[in-house]
Amino acid sequence: MSALHLAWRTVRRYRAQTLLAIAGVAVIGALLFDMLLLSRGLLLSFADLLERAGYDVRIVGGGGMTLRMPIPDSAAIAGTLRGLPEIEKVALVRILPARIAARSGASAPSVALIGVSGAASGVWTIVSGVDLDRAPGEPCPVIVGRSLAAALGVAPDDEVRINAEPAGVRSAMPPIACRIAGIGRFAFGGAGDDTVATTLEALHRASGEDRPGDADLILAASRSDAGSGAAVAAIQRARPGLAVYSNDEVIEQFNRNGFAYFRQISLVLSSLTMVFAFLLVATLLTVSVNQRLGEIAALRAIGIGRRRVAAMLLWESALLVGVGGLLALPLGELLALELDRILRQMPGLPEQLHFFVFEPRALAVHAAVLVVTAVAAAAYPMWVASRLPIAATLRREVVG
Amino acid sequence: MDIVRANDVSRMFPMPAGPVAALRRVSLAIGAGEHVAITGPSGCGKSTLLHLVGGVDAPTDGSIVFEGRDLASLSEPGRARLRLTRIGFVFQRFFLLPMLTAAENIELPQAEAGVAAAARRSRTRELLAYVGLTERADHLPSQLSGGEMQRAAIARALANRPALLLADEPTGELDEATSETIADLFDRVNADGTAILVVTHNPSLASRASRRLAMRSGRLVA
Repeated sequence: MSALHLAWRTVRRYRAQTLLAIAGVAVIGALLFDMLLLSRGLLLSFADLLERAGYDVRIVGGGGMTLRMPIPDSAAIAGTLRGLPEIEKVALVRILPARIAARSGASAPSVALIGVSGAASGVWTIVSGVDLDRAPGEPCPVIVGRSLAAALGVAPDDEVRINAEPAGVRSAMPPIACRIAGIGRFAFGGAGDDTVATTLEALHRASGEDRPGDADLILAASRSDAGSGAAVAAIQRARPGLAVYSNDEVIEQFNRNGFAYFRQISLVLSSLTMVFAFLLVATLLTVSVNQRLGEIAALRAIGIGRRRVAAMLLWESALLVGVGGLLALPLGELLALELDRILRQMPGLPEQLHFFVFEPRALAVHAAVLVVTAVAAAAYPMWVASRLPIAATLRREVVG
Repeated sequence: MDIVRANDVSRMFPMPAGPVAALRRVSLAIGAGEHVAITGPSGCGKSTLLHLVGGVDAPTDGSIVFEGRDLASLSEPGRARLRLTRIGFVFQRFFLLPMLTAAENIELPQAEAGVAAAARRSRTRELLAYVGLTERADHLPSQLSGGEMQRAAIARALANRPALLLADEPTGELDEATSETIADLFDRVNADGTAILVVTHNPSLASRASRRLAMRSGRLVA
């Protein structure tokens, strides 16, 4: 007849109190779990988006990752990079504002036109049709974002007319005719995806510039035997002065700056939820112990040791917090899905970016926090039970 | 040979208005197989003396020697072990664990004493038969009558074969007929060799004892 057995029988006997405690811990635990998912969710989701593009090194113009500026002499830089043994592939990316019109007359006056060189298709996922490299001989193949395609009423093989306008330039050039190779979902595109991708050459023609402009971003994939760190070092040796970042460094930058608020908010809220769980279980256990003082004094009088009595209370706390904590997981997951859906409706957010992302670490922290809560909540009732004066308590019980 | 001896024990309780003496220089010895009853008005110190003898409270002055060992020299775990194995307690309000069946309540002190499961079950069956509760073994205390609960509590007190059974108003919550049943049971327990110290207001129960003592104002007067 172990302390666990006694605790189990106790929580089964006091059903209403047990259900109340478990329900409370489940709700509080769900919030705690969500805060843990939120604390690193954006970061993990952002890292996933970066990794999914298939490039682990990024070269940007002056101003760092957050400010988009052209990279001078980008074509030559790309050539140099392709010659490095640490680099497997390189892609140039240039983004211009553009107007697009369908043959039906439907048009969008302000879209993001992405020109890419090389295999940059990891930046988008083809939903229908084919990718740019599967449209040979087509002078201006384009991938149109799903929402934009729906708004324009266009499908693969349809013709659209595009007019790119470099920043600060009001273009009077006629639009160029392009053919839709595929409809895509862009990794960093929002729900109202207004992005169009094409080749760098086609973007240059659409812009009407007299010479190809510099890329805004150079993507490089390191060879698997070299790794992104070695690739970054090799690029910096080959072209000193370039702003080169591995994906890990980009994520770290965002972690320090962009996502610090979420981490702080979730830390504060998860600490508060832990305090609520502690107060709930500690209160219920203390009330329960106070109701059972006579029983506990009698147990100790007949020779049941302090340790067993304390262990029984600790197990009671562990059972309440443990079962509540387990129920908190599916509840928290459901809540996280709903909150994620609401938050992702914010305008301008990439459609595939999530606020609440599951990772085993969150589960481990959730469990550790609940263990601490269970022990802390049981501490005072354990102290009361193991220190109570037996004779005085028995006397009070009889007089009472 | 004495099982327990109280030597000149006093017990003072600190109170806001000044210390109150619950026991004043009381001496008492209980020998093996004795049946002692202490009577007296409420607040005269009967239960306090019983608690001191049982090692759940400590005297302010004097000493309690149980089977040759001064209780003051034992640690709390040592006193708990002594209570578990050598002393049985029966309370006015039974204090059975409400979530355990009658049989489990009787098994509990044996489990604490480290008795093997098979031996525990066998001893529990024996005790349930001894107190006439074989048919009620799997009933929770809430499903037992007052007399049945007290019989289960007596069985629990006997679980580890104590040398001394301490009973504090064991018939205080029971009607007259049921009290007689409990008194009969105490007689059997004593006849089977267990010494008993019972504190009671019940003259009938006290009359069963081989030695009757009276207390008044913290002193033994007869």
